Amino acid sequence: MVAPLVTRPWVMAVVMLALGLALVGSVSAGGGQPSAALQSFPLYNAGERVDGLPLVAVLRREDTADFASFVYGDCVAGDDAGCAPPAEIQIWPACGRNLGLYDGVQPAGAPAEQIMVRGVPALLFDDGTRLELETGRLTAVVFADTRARTLRIAAALRAVDGTVSPGRPLPQPTRGEGRGGAVDC
Amino acid sequence: MLRFALVVLVASAGALAGTPALAHFDAADRYTHKACPASATNRIDPINVVFTTWGTWARAGSQVESHTGWTAASGSVQSFTDHGGCGAIHTQRASGHGSRFHVRLRGQHADAALGWTAMAAAHHEDLVLFSVPCGHAVDANGPGGSGFDQARDELVRQLTSAGHSSYRVWWGNTQSFKQCDGDYAASDGWAAFIQLHQVSH
Repeated sequence: MVAPLVTRPWVMAVVMLALGLALVGSVSAGGGQPSAALQSFPLYNAGERVDGLPLVAVLRREDTADFASFVYGDCVAGDDAGCAPPAEIQIWPACGRNLGLYDGVQPAGAPAEQIMVRGVPALLFDDGTRLELETGRLTAVVFADTRARTLRIAAALRAVDGTVSPGRPLPQPTRGEGRGGAVDC
Repeated sequence: MLRFALVVLVASAGALAGTPALAHFDAADRYTHKACPASATNRIDPINVVFTTWGTWARAGSQVESHTGWTAASGSVQSFTDHGGCGAIHTQRASGHGSRFHVRLRGQHADAALGWTAMAAAHHEDLVLFSVPCGHAVDANGPGGSGFDQARDELVRQLTSAGHSSYRVWWGNTQSFKQCDGDYAASDGWAAFIQLHQVSH
């Protein structure tokens, strides 16, 4: 499945609306069978600008990975050398990505830092440049160039459908204890 | 004298117990970097393959070349980090010079459980000439995943068909990277661990 890649503001608004409808609404997947996980897969982002960074792209992957992505800020890529945007928010169904994936895995590096963000469990990785939190039936992943920016973006997360405002408590994970467990996709 | 010997023995044991801190596989940083020092802002590619057992960088290069036919060695230099240090790749292999599979490798010292290890950043990239000539750009996505996922899976496919064993580990390094053609590419977050044997090809 080829993802929509959007970099123009007016097209982005249309795609965000379409993505929201597709992910919140009833979506057929896997041979036309409705996906229970995707039916309750709301989108979160940080609005059209966060921490001084404009929203520059909205991405959707639906192949070996299943997530929607909001890219904030730009960078300059070259021949044979991509570049890391200053910030990105990825929204995954919790059935495909959740904090339980890290249970029992040998860290082979610095262990993740367990914190609470807006009332839900979260893990900080990579010196704070990656945060993963579980809310409802999804996992939000924030990438940023500094720990402080990562946490500011997490504080700015909002539901695209308007049900959760920035800074407000996030819905509790619906996988029971918040860590581990499994949800069928 | 006996007490002194005991103190020396305990101190030696303590020192030995602490030694593995420098003798383990370190995957704390799961991206390559444009240069050293490494930072979050100069990340370029996700690391998505680890060669183990006899995974010295020279064996990894040799066995990748032998089993995949990726004999080209052209490509820019990138850097890896481990154990608090940062260094340039040791070698790279590619399936050609146009649109191609491409993997960069850097070795680490031996790990007690994994043996010799080398980390690798593999991808499939297109040579973009139109509409704006920009060079190599990693595929954004497709039925087989992004260019990062396609190359990792191709390495697994080719080496396992030649008798090497492999397994996957969730790393979560799914950050998207802008490419020179304006697309974004990301790993699906899984790293392949592929066993190598002692004999080079």
